[in-house]
Amino acid sequence: MTFEISMRALGQTLWLLSPELALLLAGLFALGLQAVGPRLEEKRWPQCTVLTGLIVALILTITLWGHQAQTFSLLVHDPFAQVIKTVALITTGILVLTSDSYIESHDKHKGGFYALLIFSTLAICLLGGATNLILSFLALELLSITSTLLIGYLRQDGRSTEAALKTFLYGTTLSAMTLYGISWIYGLTGSTDLHRIAIATQTTGDFLYPTLLLALIFIVAGLTFKIGAVPFHHWAPDAYEGAPTPVTAFLSTGPVIGGTATMIRVLLTAFPPEMERLAMDWQTLLMAVTTLTMTVSNLAALKQPNIKRLLAYSSIAQTGYLLIGVITASPGGVTGTLFYLMAYVLSNLGAFAVAVSVSRDEDGGSLENYAGLHKRAPALAMAMTMCLFSLAGIPPTAGFVGKLYLFSAAIRKGLLWLAIVGVLNSVLSIACYWKIIRAMYILPAQSGERLSIPLTLAAALSVTAISVLVVGILPGPLSTLVETAAQAILGQP
Amino acid sequence: MNFRILSFTLFAPLAGALLTMVIPREDVRTIRRVGTAFAFLTLVLTTVVWIGVIQIGPGEIQYAERHPWIPAFNVQYSIGVDGLSAPMLFLTALLTTLSLFYSAHAIEARVKEYYFLFLLLETGLFGSFLALDLVLFYVFCEVGLVPMFLITGVWGGERREHAAIKFFLYTLIGSVLMLLAIIGVYLQTGTFDVMEAAEIGPFSSPEQWQVACIVFWALLIAFAIKIASFPFHTWLPDVHTEAPTAGSVMLAGIVLKLGAYGLIRVALPLFPQPFHHFTVQVPVIPVVAVVSIVYGALVCMAQWDLKRLAAYSSVPDMGYVLLGVCATAAGLPQLSTSEALNAAAAGLNGAAMQMFAHGIVTGGLFFLVGILHQRTRTYDLKTFGGLAAQTPYIYGFTIMAGFAALGLPGLAGFWGKFLTFRGTARFIPTAAFVGVLGLVFTAGGILWKLIQQVFLGRLDKRKWGRLKDMTWWEKATMWPLVLATVLLGLYPTPVLSSFNAALTTLLQELP
Repeated sequence: MTFEISMRALGQTLWLLSPELALLLAGLFALGLQAVGPRLEEKRWPQCTVLTGLIVALILTITLWGHQAQTFSLLVHDPFAQVIKTVALITTGILVLTSDSYIESHDKHKGGFYALLIFSTLAICLLGGATNLILSFLALELLSITSTLLIGYLRQDGRSTEAALKTFLYGTTLSAMTLYGISWIYGLTGSTDLHRIAIATQTTGDFLYPTLLLALIFIVAGLTFKIGAVPFHHWAPDAYEGAPTPVTAFLSTGPVIGGTATMIRVLLTAFPPEMERLAMDWQTLLMAVTTLTMTVSNLAALKQPNIKRLLAYSSIAQTGYLLIGVITASPGGVTGTLFYLMAYVLSNLGAFAVAVSVSRDEDGGSLENYAGLHKRAPALAMAMTMCLFSLAGIPPTAGFVGKLYLFSAAIRKGLLWLAIVGVLNSVLSIACYWKIIRAMYILPAQSGERLSIPLTLAAALSVTAISVLVVGILPGPLSTLVETAAQAILGQP
Repeated sequence: MNFRILSFTLFAPLAGALLTMVIPREDVRTIRRVGTAFAFLTLVLTTVVWIGVIQIGPGEIQYAERHPWIPAFNVQYSIGVDGLSAPMLFLTALLTTLSLFYSAHAIEARVKEYYFLFLLLETGLFGSFLALDLVLFYVFCEVGLVPMFLITGVWGGERREHAAIKFFLYTLIGSVLMLLAIIGVYLQTGTFDVMEAAEIGPFSSPEQWQVACIVFWALLIAFAIKIASFPFHTWLPDVHTEAPTAGSVMLAGIVLKLGAYGLIRVALPLFPQPFHHFTVQVPVIPVVAVVSIVYGALVCMAQWDLKRLAAYSSVPDMGYVLLGVCATAAGLPQLSTSEALNAAAAGLNGAAMQMFAHGIVTGGLFFLVGILHQRTRTYDLKTFGGLAAQTPYIYGFTIMAGFAALGLPGLAGFWGKFLTFRGTARFIPTAAFVGVLGLVFTAGGILWKLIQQVFLGRLDKRKWGRLKDMTWWEKATMWPLVLATVLLGLYPTPVLSSFNAALTTLLQELP
């Protein structure tokens, strides 16, 4: 009897974990292809494997929808996790399409590239559902390692290697800080499970409060590093500039999804708003972080001559908005963060897909690539404009609806000044994007020939640009989805 | 009628824009024809809508359509038209049609994108006038901003990029303030619908006075930036000067009016008490309006650049609109007596008439400036002189537009100013006393700079001896506007009664 029950339990667990397992298998297969036969790489086997893995994982995630369950008391499958997973899978799918043509032009380690992408997606999926700090940390580390390797993909390029080294050193230090904070939490509360931590901290005596706060600060520091928020953002511009452009696209979206998901879950489950004193402290901390992030990055972006760096700084600024929703710690705020996350990811992917199309040679994205783009590739120029407007929050794009959610949640909680900072930064970001729009539409082209866009890249571009517009005009279905996810997080016992 | 004429009108230009996208860019003639045809279609539709509204009842919202859009926020796709918005719709369609018709001969480069952006602009402007939901209003205002900014930036004059981004950022700051104010209203009343919110009366209890004032000022600043009222007028001369002719026409003719419309439709009904307070007890708004009028007219008179002069002439005209609205706000506590109600309605009607007439007149003025520039390649007033004999048609049309701009009775510009001062004199007489000075200065500016400098005096035969008079298509562009100016000046009743019905309803619903 017990054998049957345990087999059934095992089957159940495997079923619940099937998306992650699919990803794992696809990644290992892609890695293996590299060893087995280089000729297979030429026939685009790694891409196909990876895409198949992603699609299978997506189908499995959708099939698992509505199952509320826990695995090993480490991983939970609630609507929030499922939304994060879906977003991560779709993001990686679009990334694979975007990087296809780029990777084809490099002859080594193609399988490795895609395998790394898959493994980082696996990490993000785990982060979406992790309810134990140890699992979160493991997934964060997996994400860090794969990201670093991806940044350093161009082994011959000095900038790529330098960027990877910088990220690695920075990242390890902050991971160590996070782990240290986790160990303190364990020492104070006797557990690394988020719910138990919540219960334990509620009964903690006042004399332990400073220690608790310090541990919390360490953990939040590590998470803000992942998102790229100020003051732990110094790795980002160099990493974004040195990495190959598809990897930059990944860096601006993948870790942000993972970091935001972890931050929401950790902060709102383990240190929920009911614990007023603690909540107020981390909220104040995050308020400072988000204000600095938005303002400093936007101001820095104004001065960048290199478009990749400009997009890097402005992506960092946009991630500041995500934190606004976390600060409000309300269902509306989390809804806003999740919706804006999706809008941000789509818009960023679109913008970077255009960047991949125009800057084929590794000059790091100088402005001349964009000059006169309206003539050389009008669809690209329009897609880029739409994505940039979405990032800035101009209607009728997805980014606008996301910001509407966020600002409403902020004002509802009485954080009017935060909303004002947010809207003023939206205006500032337009001043940054103007450089690109001006180059595309007003500056004369260097050469009159039309830019040819490979099919996969065109597919990725159309998906992102069209969905940015469609989600902006018809946000209903997506917002209902995201609301369910937010309820799951905040309604938890 | 069940046929959704408003949505059809709203999206017709968008359909035209998308259609121009598929026409190959070398086939310029088809693009021009299709674009102008769609604009003309909207002209027909808006005329039908206006006549329909007058027949059914311009006092109430007609042809309303409502669909949920973002249910989480109770944001709805709610559009409707009444006696206030119908004439503005018509004006938009008229100016767009004339602009596209004129641009067929004026714009040679990148014609496809030009027509696409123009039709997109028309959609945005239509939507702003039709929207009854505040978020929808915001969305359409922004949708209208982007094409305007691109049109200026791509087809404009020498400093067009600077002007375009300055315009966009300046107006955007105002817009985002408006967005925050709108969110505040929603959180207070639970709805984004402007009529419902006005009924509930956000922040109307005495404890919330501070908040009410803050939100009111956010709205007012946003609209003041949009109508280029002093001190937020500095974007106006740059953009108007650098934009292409048709772009300036649309800017001065319609885009400027979005703020005025917003004042009447949104700011006044939602926040009547703060409006009254800042008009009477702390008279900031009338001062701003009067300074716009007088200072604007003086600056206009000081210009030696023809296009800049035309641009600055809009500042005092919008000042009259602001003055008319705040005259009504000043009279709010006394609205129970019918005499006061009459005067308040006069003020508001004056503001609306001024909106409408200014659109027609300034549209014509900018067309003429463009027509002159196209021949002479300069805007410098010092080089002109004596063109009356050389180009009599241009002279004749400019006289009509100029006299209308300074408010000569018998032409369109008179009624708006007259009614505004009627209302102002009743409730805030000091403002009226100082404001009429603006009329004198405007007259000075127009007569001296626009008419005397350009057309009278000695003709420089070497430079302008070969100047050609207006071509058939330039005349075809100007005649409708001039006819409308004369008609409106002699017989304003159709337009005025349309405005009056809607505005009286609005006044009666104010607490």
